[in-house]
Amino acid sequence: MRAGRDGGGVTGAVEDVDQFRARARAWIEANLEPRDPSLPREFDFAAERALQARMFDAGFTGFMFPTEYGGLGLTIDHQRAFFEEAAGYFTPSYFAVSIGMLGATILDCGTEEQKTHHLPAILRADEIFVQLLSEPSGGSDLAGALTRATRDGDTWVINGSKIWTSGGDVATHGLMLARTDWDVPKHRGLSMLIVPLGDHPGVTIEPIMQVNGDADFCQEFFDDVTVPVGNLLGAENEGWAVAQRLLFNERNTTAGIGIGHGYMANLSGSVRGDATIGERLQRLLHAAARRGADTDPEIRRLIGRTGVDLVAHEFARRRIMTGQTLGALDGPWGSLLKLGEGIDSPAIAADALAIAGASGVISVDDAAGGDQGAAWIASRGISIGGGSNEMQRNIVSERLLGLPRELDPSRELPFSEIQERRRRAQRDRTPSGGHR
Amino acid sequence: MRFDLNDDTEFLRATTSRFIADEMSMAATRALASAPDGFDRDTWRRAAELGWTSLLAPASLGGGGLSDNAVVDLAAVAEEMGRRVAPGPLLPVNVVVDALARGGEPALVQEVVPGLMAGDTIAAWALAESRDVWGVDGLGETVVREDGDHLVVSGHKRFVEAAASADVILVSAMSPSGPTQVLVDARADGVTVIPGRSIDLVRRFADVAFDGVRIASDAVVGTMGDAAGDIEHQCQLALALQVAETVGMLDDVYVTTVEYLVDRWSFGRPLASYQALKHRLADMLLALETAKGCAEAAADAVGTDDANVRRDVGVAKAYVGRAAIELLGECVQLHGGIAMTWEHDLHVYERRAAVNRAVYGSPEYHEERLCALVETGAV
Repeated sequence: MRAGRDGGGVTGAVEDVDQFRARARAWIEANLEPRDPSLPREFDFAAERALQARMFDAGFTGFMFPTEYGGLGLTIDHQRAFFEEAAGYFTPSYFAVSIGMLGATILDCGTEEQKTHHLPAILRADEIFVQLLSEPSGGSDLAGALTRATRDGDTWVINGSKIWTSGGDVATHGLMLARTDWDVPKHRGLSMLIVPLGDHPGVTIEPIMQVNGDADFCQEFFDDVTVPVGNLLGAENEGWAVAQRLLFNERNTTAGIGIGHGYMANLSGSVRGDATIGERLQRLLHAAARRGADTDPEIRRLIGRTGVDLVAHEFARRRIMTGQTLGALDGPWGSLLKLGEGIDSPAIAADALAIAGASGVISVDDAAGGDQGAAWIASRGISIGGGSNEMQRNIVSERLLGLPRELDPSRELPFSEIQERRRRAQRDRTPSGGHR
Repeated sequence: MRFDLNDDTEFLRATTSRFIADEMSMAATRALASAPDGFDRDTWRRAAELGWTSLLAPASLGGGGLSDNAVVDLAAVAEEMGRRVAPGPLLPVNVVVDALARGGEPALVQEVVPGLMAGDTIAAWALAESRDVWGVDGLGETVVREDGDHLVVSGHKRFVEAAASADVILVSAMSPSGPTQVLVDARADGVTVIPGRSIDLVRRFADVAFDGVRIASDAVVGTMGDAAGDIEHQCQLALALQVAETVGMLDDVYVTTVEYLVDRWSFGRPLASYQALKHRLADMLLALETAKGCAEAAADAVGTDDANVRRDVGVAKAYVGRAAIELLGECVQLHGGIAMTWEHDLHVYERRAAVNRAVYGSPEYHEERLCALVETGAV
């Protein structure tokens, strides 16, 4: 437990979960809008933001954040209780990243002033934080960042570009990993900075249209952007430790075991109108029934198998949450759950193509038509975003199983030397045989 | 092993683990491969003294669980047995004890259950028939009808675990008024046990033919014609124990396989340093932890008769049944040639995993059932 209502440290005066649940239920029934799972709903950012502020004002967000930073100082059981009660209602889902990943990292690594200044604003969605980690030059190798931050008096001057930023277009701030020393090995020359976005001078934000036609991601360009030295999160050149903490919080949030929003996504199924397991299976059955395939044993088995995979993953999550709560599990277990989602998502989407048939990919006067095709096209998002399946497999094998690490010359050599080697290799490369 | 066992259950688990290490070594199990029972009666008696057959028995006979969920307690035993692919009729004996505790006539319970609790007698449960359907929906071939103040059982049961060793057989059958269960003396006139060979080294299955077997009417377990719920519960209990056992097996072989790849060197470095192999071990850990989560959820749901118990148990069987075959196959592949030898233990685990996949309903059967639950809005 991080803190209690009396502010800081462990306290015995935390509200009883059942009592909290009853209070939450009364508020939810009086204030939230019931959800009709059969009606897909357009995502409305402004409405979600307003709802987040209302929940904050009513005292139903930031469950596990300390009270002195705007949180409730409660436990994961309270958080779970709230979202169990809210399962049939719309709750804001957009801010899981800002709160669970970035807010949690500021809580872990920030100065008193940074925490006091930013955390209440993040919990209320007055400030919306994103992560500025990946760069166009390399997706998984975050420590290979080329974005440069140079100290100039009381400011940092930033030049470079970040990419794959979910929600970059609506964010107010980002946590940026930037290179502050080029003459040491790559992990030792990075710093984490709090960078204002929006219309901050020198910041250009361009949405990236994704395979499904949405533009949830952005690329950001930074041209002589200045921020005060006080925006350094953690120590200078120790940004990698902060990034590790951020990645830890990211995996936990993605896996639904984090402190920010934790379990809500899966229980309420409300992430941008996503459905619960039961609703997803009902939709598959309806898709099969539309073409008379709901009596086909093979199709029925595929629907059953989809259900098995979805529910089994919940059971894995339950086990790992229990292990973490009781202190029996330590380390990046969220990576294992994230890997499970990254493997299941495309496999389940591919099965849905088989279940739905033509109307899964073609829509003629049919609101539900084409759903499965669109879902399949987007299904690799979770297998790649937030650390690809391959990265998770490295983490699981090296940090959970303790197997030997991959060779990485850039751990030892100065980053400038690695850059020089790369330039030489690209210059000296000869065309590969057989294809030219 | 689950993280939330209470102290008493943890004590049982640890005691069980030591007992199996001392009394049910792999060498001992291999030696039993040619024994008719596939287990040693005296060892089973001593295992029973540890509580293996008492957890679901009535408190009036000295039985009962150690935690607030006796199925979790028993699953801990099953998991430890799985680690060593141990012999012994844990599943059928406990299913029959549970069925009698829930629905047996007091006199019948008093007569039969103490022997089962002591390990002196053995019980089998005859469920499947020639259609290989492990549930109420598979019944029809074996029937119970009334004949004066007696009952007559006729038909044919298949794949009955420990039938050739059993003193009593719980028969799930149809009667004119609906599904009915009766307890039959295995030596009664008209009962013929036809021993089979399973690919498991020590787990024995047999067919049982009932040729007009006359039994007393107080041998009905539960209500005549109304046993569907009891049979469903027995299936769930059997599956909770089966998946716990399988998970114990998988945990053991996975740890062994990781250690093997760490210790073995090729081309100047440990096998476990190759990314292609590390990534497979990561995927296998995911399957293993998911299987553990499934087994825990199944035991939780069965022991508390949770509203989602049908879904949870079906999911557990379908997932664990499939994952076991895939994971064991990967373990063999990663071991290489040594795992294709009789002397190496991996095939002993594979044998039981293949049997466990099939009995009490295949993953395919449970996937169809899950789809049917979706259809009725129960999922």
